[in-house]
Amino acid sequence: MAARDDGNGTLRVGVFVCQCGLNIAGTVDCAAVAEFAETLDDVAIVYNNKYTCSEPGQLEIRKAIAEHALNRVVVASCSPRMHEPTFRAAVEEAGLNPYLLEMANLREHCSWVHMGEPDAATEKAKDLVKMAVARARALQAQKEMVVPITQQALVVGGGIAGIQASLDLADAGYQVYLVEKEPSIGGIMAQIDKTYPTMDCSI
Amino acid sequence: MAEQAEFKCLRCGAEFLLPYTPGVTEERTCPSCSSNSVRRKKDK
Amino acid sequence: MAYSEIENVTGYVGSFTVTVRKKARYVDVGECTACGDCEDVCPVTSPDEFEIGLSTRKAIYQPFPQAVPSAYVLNIDECLGNNPIACGKCLEACDKECINYDDEDELIDFEVGTIIVCVGMDVYDPTALDEFGYTRYENVITSMEFERLINSGGPTEGHLVKLTDGTQPKTVAFIQCVGSRDESRGNPYCSNFCCMNTVKDCLLIKDHYPDIDIKVFYIDIRAFGKGFEDLFQRSKDAGTVYIRGIPGEIEEDPDTGGLRLYVENTTDGGVERHDVDMVVLSIGAIPRRDSDVIQRLLTLQRSQDGFFLEAHPKLKPVDAATQGVFFAGCAESPKDIKDSVTQASAAVARANRLMMQGKVSVEAITSTVIPELCKSCGLCVKVCPYHAISCDTKAKAPAVVVEAACSGCGACSAECPFGAIVMKHFTDGQIEAQIDALLEHDAHDKVLAFACNWCSYSGGDLAGTNRFQYPANVRLIRTMCSGRVDKKFVLRAFAMGAPIVLVSGCHFTDCHYINAVRWTQRRVEKLWDELEKKGIRPERLQLEWISAAEGQRFATVMRAVEDLRRKVTAKEIEHTRKVLADVLAPVEV
Repeated sequence: MAARDDGNGTLRVGVFVCQCGLNIAGTVDCAAVAEFAETLDDVAIVYNNKYTCSEPGQLEIRKAIAEHALNRVVVASCSPRMHEPTFRAAVEEAGLNPYLLEMANLREHCSWVHMGEPDAATEKAKDLVKMAVARARALQAQKEMVVPITQQALVVGGGIAGIQASLDLADAGYQVYLVEKEPSIGGIMAQIDKTYPTMDCSI
Repeated sequence: MAEQAEFKCLRCGAEFLLPYTPGVTEERTCPSCSSNSVRRKKDK
Repeated sequence: MAYSEIENVTGYVGSFTVTVRKKARYVDVGECTACGDCEDVCPVTSPDEFEIGLSTRKAIYQPFPQAVPSAYVLNIDECLGNNPIACGKCLEACDKECINYDDEDELIDFEVGTIIVCVGMDVYDPTALDEFGYTRYENVITSMEFERLINSGGPTEGHLVKLTDGTQPKTVAFIQCVGSRDESRGNPYCSNFCCMNTVKDCLLIKDHYPDIDIKVFYIDIRAFGKGFEDLFQRSKDAGTVYIRGIPGEIEEDPDTGGLRLYVENTTDGGVERHDVDMVVLSIGAIPRRDSDVIQRLLTLQRSQDGFFLEAHPKLKPVDAATQGVFFAGCAESPKDIKDSVTQASAAVARANRLMMQGKVSVEAITSTVIPELCKSCGLCVKVCPYHAISCDTKAKAPAVVVEAACSGCGACSAECPFGAIVMKHFTDGQIEAQIDALLEHDAHDKVLAFACNWCSYSGGDLAGTNRFQYPANVRLIRTMCSGRVDKKFVLRAFAMGAPIVLVSGCHFTDCHYINAVRWTQRRVEKLWDELEKKGIRPERLQLEWISAAEGQRFATVMRAVEDLRRKVTAKEIEHTRKVLADVLAPVEV
């Protein structure tokens, strides 16, 4: 892995505005958002891509970090609940601490919910990018804590799903605690006569 | 029987009674507009 | 661990501490050989749950012949007890001496790295659908009762008989979607397996009794899945008649027990009458009635239908939002055996992916105390839902956060009166930078909404994926928990000219941080008082709980809040700016 940059040098923010095909660009004027982003404090470079999450899109982030000495990255695309892990991994690969990434949600929270209002959605997108850049400028590198994981598992419920899960886990070599509230495992499946599609019996 | 207190919805303005125990924080919902901006009316 | 229930779970991914209550069985599982001598002498007779009351069992019984563990269980509530006058017969009959009337519940603790939730489903109770007469007519049965009747190990040894007179029916009707796909009574969702279960039942009947006529009343037959269409066609070839329409009424002939169904055949609109001997109600699935227990213990979320909510519908379909917890089977949604088995293996693969590495890295969103600012008041200790903070208030020593126990809600940081707790990755400075950036220009046009990562922000994501439209002037600031929303953030926003501020988070039962959301509500209640005192309308601070499953509610709330924003006058905003001017005065280094 490349040397770690903890982002303590002069702020250099890279902004990547994603069109998400037409998912974002169909409503939001991404070029206008990108142009606006260039005017924001400490923004060193702005990209406007079709799909930032794609392999070429991620490659562009990694290349830009190196070429423009970026120490903060803002990806203006979808929900962080969708792709934050993706982009954190991308910036980390480029040697930047993953906590120096910030996302602006231009899709779930903008283009998809203001479809009839392209102008208002574009204004909102600019605000969201502005807020993300402001936050990114204040971000600090973080170190994740690593905790040991107990090599044992709990399965709650002994129906067909719980039995299968317990068998698979045990076969993988883990100690399994299967907890069933009834006096016997089997669940609802045990009450059923023959089962489809094979038409054999359930027990 | 739980005690009740008067509440006011800060979204729609409706006023209503809800169960209330001093010091206990519970989720409260306006019966008219289902907002959670429900504020207890203070005794004058 | 059969006959056991989860009593408590603490900890986090990698090391959950689980307490299980092993219920008193009154029979030693290790010693019992399931010989049945005890059952023979037991004088108490009760309805057999496994046979859905179609036959009886004793107070000491084996749930069903293939039960695992293969051992008896004593229902102590039904048992007459070890009183020589009353009974005590089974004790005498048991050669292995494995019955113990003094058996007690046992609490067992152990540690696990991952948890798979497979709590399954309950079946819909058709009593409420009175037109089918389930409680009035004996020959109207449920699909589960049918399974027991057709099963060679069941109460009739597999003979399909009418419950009124024990004779074989000549005509059997199946009614589909009982309790499913019905917005007003029952449940709006499709229960997934009932169509195929009926197709299978028809084949079973035709296999055993080729002469029985079968009519299936349906809305749509959903025979998707490998091999299913083939089975459906086979059932038709075997003579099953499929009629599109759900009967509106069933009448019984009291003399014969025969049933008359009235139905609108929706293929031609004609109203038809069908006389049959037996009706099988194809009942749907409902979430386990006690789902709230495991939901609370593992801080899980449920979708609007009541089944457990996955972390992401496509990318993490078997993960819970709580790290290290996974779902399999009907706990997540109604599904058939094959899908349950598939999902169980998927959940194991996800759990294995974590466990095989032997260690797991935890997001660095935790709090730390700045010792120089801490006044050792101990408030944070009270606030922390995880007991992750300790503070010796007597010795006036600064508070200490145990990082491994901190889950990162940030409630401590928001509550600390001295600004002595820093929430990593969600610092005051970072959040204030967002507020300032948003409200720098045209503040009066904007709605600032704080949203928690797990529920309200996700509800916003769901509004997006479902394309629920709402006003475009809403802007969200995400925090992990609404408990992180510091009073000073709200005041700062108003001081910057915000017409309205929304604080949103999880419903109390969904809170991802046990009960941190309570601190949000308390803080907002205090803020309402404070705003009012300062001559600011408390209505300008709104509070809403929106779950990750409530995309529609998210959009509704945003519309309501925008309506309120329009009522805020420029004069009001100017007044607020003046009253709160000192909030913006620089205090930090």
